[in-house]
Amino acid sequence: MTIEWQPLAGDRIVIDDLERLSFQVDRRAYTDDDLAALEMTRIFDRCWLYVGHESEVPAPGSYVARDVGGRPVVMVRGSDGVIRVLANSCPHRGALICSQPAGQTRSFRCPYHDWTFSNQGDLVGVPLPDGYGPGFRKADFGLARHRSDSYRGFVFVTFDPEQPRTLTEYLAGATEYLDLIDDQSEVGMEVIQGAQLHGARANWKLMMENSVDIYHFRALHKRYVGYIESLGSVSPRRRGGFGRALGLGHAANELTPAAARPLAYWTPMFPAEVRSRIEATAARFVDRFGAERAERITGTNRALLIFPNVMIIDAIGITIRKIDPVSATRMAITSVALAPKDEDPDIRELRKSHYLTFLGPAGFATPDDIEIIESCQRGYLNRTVRYSDLSRGMNKEIPETTDELPAREFWRQWDRLMHGDDGHFEVAHRGEMVAHRAETVAHRGEMVAHRAETVAHRGETVAHRAETVAHRAEMQGAEPR
Amino acid sequence: MTTVLTVDEAAPVRLWHRVSQFLFREARLLDEWRLREWYDEMLTDDIRYSVPATDVRGEKADALGLIDDDAARLRQRIEQLLNGEVWCENPRSRTNRMISNVEIVTDRGTHLDVAANVVVYRFGHGRSDAYVGKYRFELVVEGESLRVRRRVVVLDHETLYEHGKLSIIL
Repeated sequence: MTIEWQPLAGDRIVIDDLERLSFQVDRRAYTDDDLAALEMTRIFDRCWLYVGHESEVPAPGSYVARDVGGRPVVMVRGSDGVIRVLANSCPHRGALICSQPAGQTRSFRCPYHDWTFSNQGDLVGVPLPDGYGPGFRKADFGLARHRSDSYRGFVFVTFDPEQPRTLTEYLAGATEYLDLIDDQSEVGMEVIQGAQLHGARANWKLMMENSVDIYHFRALHKRYVGYIESLGSVSPRRRGGFGRALGLGHAANELTPAAARPLAYWTPMFPAEVRSRIEATAARFVDRFGAERAERITGTNRALLIFPNVMIIDAIGITIRKIDPVSATRMAITSVALAPKDEDPDIRELRKSHYLTFLGPAGFATPDDIEIIESCQRGYLNRTVRYSDLSRGMNKEIPETTDELPAREFWRQWDRLMHGDDGHFEVAHRGEMVAHRAETVAHRGEMVAHRAETVAHRGETVAHRAETVAHRAEMQGAEPR
Repeated sequence: MTTVLTVDEAAPVRLWHRVSQFLFREARLLDEWRLREWYDEMLTDDIRYSVPATDVRGEKADALGLIDDDAARLRQRIEQLLNGEVWCENPRSRTNRMISNVEIVTDRGTHLDVAANVVVYRFGHGRSDAYVGKYRFELVVEGESLRVRRRVVVLDHETLYEHGKLSIIL
């Protein structure tokens, strides 16, 4: 087998031309098996990777078993209350020591030879121990403990023993957005049970790009846009907002809500009977955080890309989407919903209902995303067309959400890591980021003004909504709710 | 004068036949994309159609699923599928629903709890997929006709990794 691409030989996959305002990605990045293998060692073996949320292991002994960066691991809260990420592989001969996806236990027993481990990973039982000499020490055969840490309840792991950054340093500007998400409850956020486990026959990076691409919304998601507009929503064009680089490949889009937010942003899309409760929550947030920050927490949508492979989308609901490469042309997707632990039961139902309308393999939007990225993957079979273009917004000081800044940030970090380089570039880049942040702060002022306009616009659509509800009722021969 | 008590031994067979024919007709309308007819003629006004998540499989009442449609959202789903705006169902999938193991679990007179096994084959956009699951229906008996009031499809797949999406009505 010949390796066609030599990553260090000057054959650029990512062509970032700041003079021509052109950003192109060689499509081999989505199709080449050697590049996919190299991603595992240069990206997934080195970065901090999202494992899960602390609420998924609420009590001593609670665990979840899942694959992270291609490796089977168990995230478990030990009897001592500490959350650890352990290798799900027996140090004896390798079998999975945990074959249940989730549960609660004091110990893990390898089914192969009955070696038993505490829920903190220590080897506590070996059958027929007289088969080992005096040099055999149980302490040498515990489950491998990976370096893990959490930020505001989000647990990450790194498999790189030389990873120089703490988790907080690694997350860079993304912490600001994790704060905005975790601040949505005083008692903490929780993952709602019931994961949406699916995948796509496409390169994993296509789903990362898709998750931060708002440009495609009106075209590909006509049916969902039509649906929410009939309920009183406002199109992204009118909503404004901006894309933002957060450093180290992380990026975010931030924009005024399309529809409503179950936490504390009521619009006629939600039933009238929950209005006072939702608005009371909004008022509590103003008391707690002050008007400006409360508005940002409760009244703004955001999509956060944490490099390399997790997206947190905080809109009509909050979804955590973990995207795992399986091969160059296959990926696995795990999506869960995050919500305040202390949520009113009616509002929780509303949240779940609207979440399902949009998100997941059977929602009104995600199936089309899956189909279109698989379509892109098929299109790459025509190798005459060598590059994909991600230049939108390079001509603007502050890219809009319909631009491609977050995808470019992802690819720039991908390119640095694939070249084994994330040192010197970062210093220069941070200068850019500071300038950019100053701009976005100014821009946020504009957004608030813009929001006032959209609220007025929403007033108009309320009337429209009443008509469509009446119309729907006629269609069904039922009374409107 | 003597009273003769007769037991109509054929009644359960007739009911089973009627329920089976109902499920087969439903399958045919869905396979033929006669979705409005299906909605209008075979479902109650308070229909609820759900597909639980593949991990907790409907064992937890408060869990998030894959689909949980009330009548309005199911109608919306149907209109979208029919008007050509659903990119992943344009052109429309070819489907084939195979139903077996039809069982009337409880007969409450006006309501029947029905279980069946189902495989839905789906072909489209160069792909072929099979969805394997269990129907758990509540049927309402209205004179000579039946209607579905609760329509739960419990998938047996551990994940939808192979399928990627669920864009048809199961």
